Amino acid sequence: MYNFLTELTGNEIIAAFISAMLPVVFIVPFVIFGVLAERKVSAHIQDRLGPMRVGYHGVLQTVADFFKLIQKEDIIAEGADRKFFNLAPYLVFVGSYAVYAALPFTSTYIGSETDIGLFYIIAVSGFAVAGILMGGWASNNKYSLYGALRSAAQIVSYEIPTALVILSMVMLTGTLSLATMSEMQTAYFWNWNIFGGAEWAFTKLLLIPFMFIAFIILYISTLAEVNRLPFDMPEAESELVAGYSTEYSGMKFAMFFLAEYGNMFAVSALVSVIFFGGYQSPFGYLGNSLGLQWLIPYEQLFWFALKGILFVLVQMWLRWTLPRVRVDQLMTICWKYLIPYSFANLIIIGLITLL
Amino acid sequence: MELYDIIFYLFAAITLLSAFIVVTSKNIVHSAFNLLFTFFGVTGIYVLLGADFIAVVQLLVYIGGILILLLFGVMLTNRITSVDIRTGTVHIIPAVIGIGILWGALTAIIAFKTNWIVKPADSMEPTTVGLGNLLLTDYVLVFELLGILLLIALIGAASIARREFEELKD
Amino acid sequence: MKQYFKNTWEGLWTVFVGMKITFKHLFVPSVTIQYPDVKVPLPERVRNRLYVNMDDCIGCDQCARACPVECIEIETVKSMPEEDLGKTSNGKKKALWVTKFNIDIAKCCYCQLCVFPCPTECIYMTDVYEFSEFKREDLLYKFSTLSGEETLQKKENFEKFQAEKEAQKAAEIKAKAEAAAKAKAESESKPNSDETKQSEPPKQENS
Repeated sequence: MYNFLTELTGNEIIAAFISAMLPVVFIVPFVIFGVLAERKVSAHIQDRLGPMRVGYHGVLQTVADFFKLIQKEDIIAEGADRKFFNLAPYLVFVGSYAVYAALPFTSTYIGSETDIGLFYIIAVSGFAVAGILMGGWASNNKYSLYGALRSAAQIVSYEIPTALVILSMVMLTGTLSLATMSEMQTAYFWNWNIFGGAEWAFTKLLLIPFMFIAFIILYISTLAEVNRLPFDMPEAESELVAGYSTEYSGMKFAMFFLAEYGNMFAVSALVSVIFFGGYQSPFGYLGNSLGLQWLIPYEQLFWFALKGILFVLVQMWLRWTLPRVRVDQLMTICWKYLIPYSFANLIIIGLITLL
Repeated sequence: MELYDIIFYLFAAITLLSAFIVVTSKNIVHSAFNLLFTFFGVTGIYVLLGADFIAVVQLLVYIGGILILLLFGVMLTNRITSVDIRTGTVHIIPAVIGIGILWGALTAIIAFKTNWIVKPADSMEPTTVGLGNLLLTDYVLVFELLGILLLIALIGAASIARREFEELKD
Repeated sequence: MKQYFKNTWEGLWTVFVGMKITFKHLFVPSVTIQYPDVKVPLPERVRNRLYVNMDDCIGCDQCARACPVECIEIETVKSMPEEDLGKTSNGKKKALWVTKFNIDIAKCCYCQLCVFPCPTECIYMTDVYEFSEFKREDLLYKFSTLSGEETLQKKENFEKFQAEKEAQKAAEIKAKAEAAAKAKAESESKPNSDETKQSEPPKQENS
């Protein structure tokens, strides 16, 4: 993609900028319709209708909200630390956007073909933590600060099971690169990691239950990492007003929102790449059978987006199913349940791969 | 390469500027947050040098770990609402003299004693495989010792936390 | 240890149970009524905005007296004998011009007490409940069918009529008195006419 753009524009800088901006083209519409989907899903789960008045069945509601947010006054509280208060939403967004650099959207488009994509994705979540802490502290509001501290504690804790599960998957596949990992799960859905990987051996059958455990652990801990219900302690409306985003208004609030929904898709895509073949189609490609090679990347983009959106929908479904956990329950789930299980899982998967 | 030069100077500027603020800022939380940009700039420079693994480790350990821990410490140990969190500068003149002499000596040594080699930049290659091999062959003892050290630290932390818990129970 | 695994399993299992329930609800038809487009049919005897059918109002002021919050204000003027105001729908003869019939709906407590005393059943509660206004003054409903000029004219007419009546009365009294005086004078030699002048009523009694 980058090479193609370099040839097209004849300038490295322009090409680099364009290819770096491509995920935005994906994220912004995703956020706009993700927010709508969230409201619609929540409404229908509660036997309501949700937004109905802007466009057909309210499809343009978020667009209208977006314009509303742009027009809103940008309020900065008097006691706030102006510099960091202004910087924090962008830092949080950077943390969420940086993940997209390592996600393979198709076999031809990946931001950075780095060899350590998975490791990098775990690392950049630190930006989001720092940004949330910064926003919470700079707001000079105790609810914001509580939210920020809770969020940081939660993200730091839940990074451990995430990392352990990813480690076990790295042991299985032998690569840290998301592109290679997707490449390995090619062809049909039984080659996906959740079904024990592409290698046909009796270990494949042995692996399947542990893969499911790994998947569940990863899904839960990524849910906590993006601060979604039932783990939305940082924003807990009933306790902390709106957590770290209490003092924010207008576009800065929208940036937090953008980061949250961007993160949701990023972790869903990560889960789909690790366990569900990423951009790989479950039943082979139409482009191959028709002999149209140019069609394959588009198909891959479709499957990638579909899998990601499916997991995002499951996140929403979970959100409107479960009540919020308490802080101590949150920590119990992480330290007393997820971490021991992921450790055991790591060891077992390691042993099976050795066989 | 022109583009790389621009990016390098950008990261260098970020690092130096924020490091300067870290040292001079009177507000300790400001210092801590500026440290974030210092670490980030260093990460960028690592990436430009082709040390991708080190760059990500820098990001993970320093930004994701140490910085967050630092901020937690600052925020939890000080009274947050009041503006008590301040650091002052004392003994400016002796410090300037001392650091000046040290810095002068160091730069002199670096500038005159180093055998500079000028050669075209290596192509960027993934370093993970080489690092992994080295860690588990040549440096395996150090690696294991470090692991044990971390384990001891972890157990120590857990035991401290546990004792308090039991005292509370009584 | 056994409890630990049991907890884990239960935690996971109950999540799936909950998800099953919410998934079912995803397809339950929604209970939402899209209010401005679709309205809930109100019960028959619902009490909402007051309405006065002025064709039937005889200006008896009973509703105003019944009102506990005094939100009804009525002013009437008597009609001329030659004017015919017609009859109400239940056959009562109207005798008064209702020059003012104001209901301050902002004060109204929707108790419906004004409705029962009405002899002609012209004041009643409707099922209209969307009548919010931007200005408080707009909530003062004026039901009187007469325009301001007409009201003034009716009042003037009445005053004139009253004055004429008074004058007529006075004249009659005077005539009577004179007749009486004459009769007296006939019986006596000198009548005292001062008495009759004093008994004359002041001219503007009804203003």
